[in-house]
Amino acid sequence: MMKEHPPHAKPSEVRQSPGKSFLYALPMMLLTLMMLSGGKIPADPQRLFVLAVTYLFFNVLFFLMIHTGKTDRYRATAFITYAILFIVSFISHMFEARGSMSLSQEKIILCEVPFCHLVIPMTLIPAAFTKTIIFPGSITGGFASIASMFVIWIGASLSMGRGWCSWGCFFGGLDDAFSRILKKPLIRKIDPRWNYLPWAVLLAVVLTAAAFLSPTYCEWLCPFKTVTEFQAVTSFKILVQTIIFVSLFIALVIVLPLLTKRRIQCSLFCPFGAMQGLTNRINAFDVRIDPDSCINCKRCMTACPTFSVTEESIRTGRPLMSCMKCGTCVDVCPKGAASFHVRGTPVAVNRNIKRLLFLYAAFLFLAIFSGGTIQDGLSRIIRLITTGSMI
Amino acid sequence: MQGFFLGLSSGAVCAAYCAPVLVPYLLGEGRSVLQNFSALLQFLLGRLLGYLAFAVFAWGIHASLPQDIAHRNLLIGAAYVLLAGLLIFYSFFKAGRACPSAGGQEIDHRLCDSRSSLFLLSMGLATGLNFCPPFLLAVVTAADQASLLQSLLFFLTFFLGTSVFLIPAPFLGLLRGFSPLHLIGKMAAGLIGAYYLFLGTTMLAGGLYR
Repeated sequence: MMKEHPPHAKPSEVRQSPGKSFLYALPMMLLTLMMLSGGKIPADPQRLFVLAVTYLFFNVLFFLMIHTGKTDRYRATAFITYAILFIVSFISHMFEARGSMSLSQEKIILCEVPFCHLVIPMTLIPAAFTKTIIFPGSITGGFASIASMFVIWIGASLSMGRGWCSWGCFFGGLDDAFSRILKKPLIRKIDPRWNYLPWAVLLAVVLTAAAFLSPTYCEWLCPFKTVTEFQAVTSFKILVQTIIFVSLFIALVIVLPLLTKRRIQCSLFCPFGAMQGLTNRINAFDVRIDPDSCINCKRCMTACPTFSVTEESIRTGRPLMSCMKCGTCVDVCPKGAASFHVRGTPVAVNRNIKRLLFLYAAFLFLAIFSGGTIQDGLSRIIRLITTGSMI
Repeated sequence: MQGFFLGLSSGAVCAAYCAPVLVPYLLGEGRSVLQNFSALLQFLLGRLLGYLAFAVFAWGIHASLPQDIAHRNLLIGAAYVLLAGLLIFYSFFKAGRACPSAGGQEIDHRLCDSRSSLFLLSMGLATGLNFCPPFLLAVVTAADQASLLQSLLFFLTFFLGTSVFLIPAPFLGLLRGFSPLHLIGKMAAGLIGAYYLFLGTTMLAGGLYR
């Protein structure tokens, strides 16, 4: 019996008229207003201004996503802004609380180190066997507590799987930004075996963290310490650690993304990202390539910033589990073969509804999770302009 | 029995200390469960030799060595450097090199096996000389034994108690059908080797490492 396929979706089908786009964006407008304002409109004019700018920023981007049918460029605008303002906000916080970006032994002993999601893979085994969290942060309360980050991570994993790395991670926007600067990549050929490096880093840091009961990735390898916080250099060991993380930041977050136009840190090094790939398997949303409408032009493969589309995955119609659901392949596909998809449904039908469902989940998460940080970052920039100081 | 129970009660920590060495190797080799059991036995034999060597030492010097921080760092540092050398060698030089036994010659096959055994014995020996917290406890208790034989017996039973926790490791062989794990294991061995190399050299260099 011949299998009947519905008519193939054209890229133009996901474009919406302004009126329809407004209607689709209305739930997002209401939800973001509620979440960003916390239910009350601030009386302070500066805070009101910052809230209004943040609110407009998110909702204009969401409206454009729906109106144009393009995802990645608007996602990236919000994602990169988030990463930059996160750094502004975080560093200002550190200066306010400690007077510098460096972390003293006293703060470590007092467990006042902000917890970040990158530590999660290292904490799981020691927590299971020793019932302790091997990170000097506070479990609840304080700035970036361990419990709050775990709750956010579980919520994000359930709602978008590894989409976290393109819609939630407050560091990901940095190499995303650098990967967009050049028009064409200067390095094109990258040995596909490097795709396994994040898994090796994950294995190495999980095993050494369990052995030495310390978060080895944070201590030795995390490039983002360069732009957040780091231990004050008081010994040879800390000096070596500092040299390592600054070098990794320059290489993996700036130089290589710039030369390759790929998100090198996120796709070829980050152990959290590797682990997060597993959550792609249990998540309701994924990206699919419809083999019937695919013309094998391989634009998706060339454009994918995370090495998640290969010839094999085009053939099978499924990107690799490292897919971060950024939407680049969906945007560049000339035939609309690549699309966001809800598991358990046919690939080629109701493409637009599935895209909308994913965007509601992912964009809402991004807006809620980053909203406070973006507002704080903006406030600090305004303060810098008006008073000359961010703190 | 005291040694055995001490080993049993603290064996999880011992397993955590051995895992960074053993797990990447077992993954990287991609052998069957049975072959992994054989590899584990060779690793454990090396570890036992390390323990017994230390039993003699601990009894002879009444545990003064581990209490002397400078000497302790020297010994742990040397063990780490040895481990680092083995792991880095495994990751970069042994990786991807076909075993001569692929040609089907018996003598080459035996040579390959003996090299692999020596490798596992050396890794076991280096982890056996590693001062993980349970091992330090055992050293202190062994130093109180009246005779050398008692000290040896204590370490032997302690070794048996801790080894129980390594029994699940060979079951990594169940994953051998997933070929990328071989490469991941070898890459992880290199990274862990680099970590041990830094720890070892700084410990050897003495007061620099704090």
